[in-house]
Amino acid sequence: MPQPPMPIPLAQSPDAAEALLRRADLLAALPRAAAPPVRPTGLMPREAAEDDTLMAWAAAGDRAAFGVLVARHGERALRIALRVLGNAEEAEEVAQEAFLRAWQAAASFDPARARFTTWLHRITLNLAIDRSRRRGKAVNADEEALARLADPAPGPEAAAVAAEDRAALADALARLPARQRAAIALAYEEGLSGAEAAALLDVSERALEGLLRRARLMLRRLMTS
Amino acid sequence: MTPSRFARLLDTHGARPEAWPTARRAEAEALLGRSAEARRQLAAAQRLDAALERALPQPSPAALARLQARVAREIARSPLPAPPHPWAHAWARLGLALRPAAPAGYGALAAMATCALWLSLAPSPAVSDPIGDPLAPLQTLPLAEDPL
Repeated sequence: MPQPPMPIPLAQSPDAAEALLRRADLLAALPRAAAPPVRPTGLMPREAAEDDTLMAWAAAGDRAAFGVLVARHGERALRIALRVLGNAEEAEEVAQEAFLRAWQAAASFDPARARFTTWLHRITLNLAIDRSRRRGKAVNADEEALARLADPAPGPEAAAVAAEDRAALADALARLPARQRAAIALAYEEGLSGAEAAALLDVSERALEGLLRRARLMLRRLMTS
Repeated sequence: MTPSRFARLLDTHGARPEAWPTARRAEAEALLGRSAEARRQLAAAQRLDAALERALPQPSPAALARLQARVAREIARSPLPAPPHPWAHAWARLGLALRPAAPAGYGALAAMATCALWLSLAPSPAVSDPIGDPLAPLQTLPLAEDPL
């Protein structure tokens, strides 16, 4: 917030002058919204900038900087949403919504509190889990998804067995509660540590381990039943 | 380590030994050396891991291209990001700083404190000479009138 332009009256006495100085100190100590840095043109290509820098430029209105973030992190956002929802169209809608929310809140993003990827993927996960719960059922184990899972294997018999196994697994995944499915999706996400996965789900690492244990146990039971 | 604890370890951390906690890895590997049941459990967990890695769906490159195009189109039409309220960061930082001091269940504690404050400030009901008239409380009872 800019300092108020109120004219400061001349001090009539040393005491009054001291009081005015104290008030000026207090005003200076007030928190104020820092102006987001504008990208200096011609100095650094956007693709070489860190996520936090790109977000600061986006907050200042640089839409192309935000586009770089979408290109950089869109695939993981889509994958997480797809693995929670099991439906490609819904996953695209959720990922798009997550990025639009990130754009709208770009000026409030504080890199001191969380990494951009943690912030973005947490939004994505929450949206996907909420949508999955609202839908009332889990992954859509539709024919198209099952056909995609059933890759051709050598020999028609082996192909049939593999396809059956995959269909059983897809069906078992569909029956898991949304948060357990999200934990599984994160556990098989390359380059994501347990601590990061727990931060995305907003739980402790111990709670994440509990989710994973219950999910694997249920998958094994569902596949053998 | 027993086979049942080993099964729990596999369910929690998966079949890759490098993902197991360091403190329990040596114990688990020793069990694998002497127990055929543990080896069977490990093989089953490896099959589940492999099946999951194959079965978990991957987004297509076309989906990523569509996402980029749609987000670019939407933000071109959207207003610029709104600047945060000047006090927003200060409140957020204060909340973050005070969080470790907050006890577990501090919401319930706050509710109890509010109730206690309300009860202590509420005026106590006036008691009018309870010794002089021992039947006084009965006079406040809603008695049905005699129909006759």
